[in-house]
Amino acid sequence: MNDFNLLLAVFLLVNLMIALMRVARGPTDADRLLVALLFSTTGVAILLLLASAEDTLVLIDIALVFALLAAITGAVFARRAWWPEEEKDGNS
Amino acid sequence: MEIPELLSIIFLVTGAAFFMAGTIGLLRFPDVYTRLHVLAKVDNLGLGFIILGLLFQAPGLMAALKIIVIWLLALAASSTVSFLIARQALNRGVAPWKAKEQKI
Amino acid sequence: MILRTVFLRIVLFVAAWWVLTQGRTDSWGVGLISIASALIVSLILLPPGLFRFSFAGLFFFLNYFLSQSLKAGIQVALMAVRLNPDLHPSIKLISLRLPEGLGRVILVNTLNLLPGTLSANLTSSSLCLHVLDERQPNEAQVRDIEKLIAHMLCVELEES
Repeated sequence: MNDFNLLLAVFLLVNLMIALMRVARGPTDADRLLVALLFSTTGVAILLLLASAEDTLVLIDIALVFALLAAITGAVFARRAWWPEEEKDGNS
Repeated sequence: MEIPELLSIIFLVTGAAFFMAGTIGLLRFPDVYTRLHVLAKVDNLGLGFIILGLLFQAPGLMAALKIIVIWLLALAASSTVSFLIARQALNRGVAPWKAKEQKI
Repeated sequence: MILRTVFLRIVLFVAAWWVLTQGRTDSWGVGLISIASALIVSLILLPPGLFRFSFAGLFFFLNYFLSQSLKAGIQVALMAVRLNPDLHPSIKLISLRLPEGLGRVILVNTLNLLPGTLSANLTSSSLCLHVLDERQPNEAQVRDIEKLIAHMLCVELEES
């Protein structure tokens, strides 16, 4: 069972690496941020699999923080970094 | 092999399959909106199945409840963020991809 | 009425902390501070008295939500792996009948996880929806969820 969980964790990790192609292709910053969100969803899954396989319950807490940070990252990106051009003062 | 273990494996594999489909969709779908659909629906379902599978391995009720709470938080987070990104993309004037343009 | 809301929220936050610490008792000092701040923030952001909460409504809502989001995931996953994804995305404007407030927030968030819909903007009177397949009856779907949410929060739908 433990080996099986580890195998799945590696599979999800490879899956994540392939998704990095979307960062390279873009074309907009939002497309790149999507992958960051995918990292958090997949990251939570991987950490929970590892926590179960290795019996290290502290990894569950890390998964929790991952899930919360994803919300903050996305919200900050949408509200601050990617604000519509015309609403920035002085620029363009 | 015992039945809980078998169920656990079935759910975990299903979850991993959804994650794979999610990555394929992320690479294949044509614009940021359709990719957001993939991220919000497919990957959260994948996480749901992984967590369902792990529930069968959980050492106790408290541990099981905790990972369910994590799943709910992840759902709420990704749903909210999807909405914020979609709204921002629209405000920015990122045009949605249309099926007709593809066929011409 | 207000006391009841405050009490229910305290129970909710204590339960959340209890689950997150897995029933351990050595961190209740931090826990009490966290619970108190969560309660204050929740009372500011979501003042009590605006709605009541129906547990039967919650049950119907969750039942619909879980089955539909399962369907949504399978549908989009199949689209992703199919040779021809057959996408017909479009933007639809849908007028809202839920009153402003928590109900709309729940609506916007659940629509993202339901089949074929993605909320893209929210104004005071309407919702801008990105749909994966414009041939689907998306508006009827939104109406169904509106009804379920209104039932859950014990609010009336406005005529539009």
